[in-house]
Amino acid sequence: MPANDTQGLIRTRRIIYLLVAAAIIVPYVIQMPIPSFHAQEEAHKVYDRVESLPAGSRVLIAMEFDPNCEAELRPMAEGILRHCFARKLVPILVTTNYIAPALISDICQKIAKETGTVSGKDWVFLGYRPGMANVVITMGESIQRTFETDNFSQTTRDMPALAGVNSLKDVSLITVISLGDTVNMWIQYGSDRLKVPLVAGVTAVMAPDLYPYLNTGQVKGILAGLRGAADYELLLHRSDDAAKGMQVQSVAHGLLIALIIGANVRFLFRRAQGKEA
Amino acid sequence: MEPQAQTTESPMRRTVEAAVMIALGTAFVVASILCQKDSLFGKNANDRIEAVGIIIAAALTLIMYSFLYRDNPLFKIAENVYIGAQLGYGAINTWRLALRPQIYNPLALAPSNQALWDALVFRSVPILLGVLLLTRLSRKHGWLSRYSYSMMVGWGAGMTILVMTDTNILQQLQAAAKPIQAGVTADAGWWANAGAVTGALTVLVGTVCVLFYFFFSIPHGPVGQRVSKTGIWFLMLSFGASFGYTAMARISLVIGRMRFLLFEWLKIPQ
Repeated sequence: MPANDTQGLIRTRRIIYLLVAAAIIVPYVIQMPIPSFHAQEEAHKVYDRVESLPAGSRVLIAMEFDPNCEAELRPMAEGILRHCFARKLVPILVTTNYIAPALISDICQKIAKETGTVSGKDWVFLGYRPGMANVVITMGESIQRTFETDNFSQTTRDMPALAGVNSLKDVSLITVISLGDTVNMWIQYGSDRLKVPLVAGVTAVMAPDLYPYLNTGQVKGILAGLRGAADYELLLHRSDDAAKGMQVQSVAHGLLIALIIGANVRFLFRRAQGKEA
Repeated sequence: MEPQAQTTESPMRRTVEAAVMIALGTAFVVASILCQKDSLFGKNANDRIEAVGIIIAAALTLIMYSFLYRDNPLFKIAENVYIGAQLGYGAINTWRLALRPQIYNPLALAPSNQALWDALVFRSVPILLGVLLLTRLSRKHGWLSRYSYSMMVGWGAGMTILVMTDTNILQQLQAAAKPIQAGVTADAGWWANAGAVTGALTVLVGTVCVLFYFFFSIPHGPVGQRVSKTGIWFLMLSFGASFGYTAMARISLVIGRMRFLLFEWLKIPQ
């Protein structure tokens, strides 16, 4: 490519980066109002599934994410935890991601403080175990044997939050909040094998891969990306980080659409002039 | 991200860039002190530590974004810090949450002889297999790791083939082979039922056409080419949906960092 073209390309890229930055910063600074939107059907299904559980039910929440995807998945995790506590359900949190424990502890402690719930009694964070699918398989046999202590080094035997729960079969719902394909692992070795319903919250990148499982009923509901988290906040009648991000995302998406249309029009125009092949 | 092309630059431009860099660095320090002064110079030690953490995180975030202008030494340092911190943190977590409670405590801190004996009986084989994996580091003894790998591969294949076949093939086939009117219900409205039938027909046409596109065993005649082209259209729609979701995800991540910079570092009121 000639040097002039390369320079032009670099300049164009920098302009696009600046435009995207402006599209994200300006709506926050001028405090644009949050656009009205309706929760998507898939998010409704997650909400309804949690809502339908009787008080005291155990909900296993697999938090398979780290700070890389905190922006998308933390609002989901917080929303589901708030919903569980509001419905007097007992979340059992676990992760197979070695980077995740500190972030999950932070989320748990924030929501526990907000809702006045106690670790070990109203919820438990089992922590991290290496082995990925092996962890799910052994949890299917015994949770207490897989996690002899929780993340805060408390022994899980006789823990009130795990009373009546021997294995994964005894939980009423598996919720996977994941940045990668660990949802497949939980479907294969958890919900399908043990016949426990499963809902998932995933990054937008992963969402298209998960829709086939929604059609088959292997996944009962999906929260997809920041929009999914905003849907959940809407259903909980809250307006937290995800809902507040919707106006910014709308502007940024508008900009991307405009750029795609503009670039294509320019391409067609140049082709008509014989400047493009 | 694709590295940007390096171009030859005049000394004048380098001087200007260095001056801008110094100005931005100064602006960052001033903004950090002004915005975090309550926490930085407050009496609470935890607040001070948190403020320092926020300033470091803000600096690293901005340095990471500096790559969008051009690759630079600060970016390289931040990149290495990121990888090093992640690995270090992972190593500590693996020790604290896996190796210590599963290996060290049961063997080294066993409360009784019986407990030590139990630990030896149940844990020595897995520990041995784990240790054998480390022999990969030696050329001479690397072959020993094959015992562990053969166990892993054999176990993995045995477990996965059965589970994958059921989850990803049989159940998907079952859902794809449902009758077209399966989604029609008596209590749903006409439009909802029409939508369900249209959806099922679209899935049927899409599945057949895409499968046909990948069927290379016979030449595609005039009709076959049309079916194949329809398959391409379905594939393109699928790729478009994936691209749209990917764009949404990337924008969400930028939103997350911007929220941090605006509301936690610069403390702009929400």
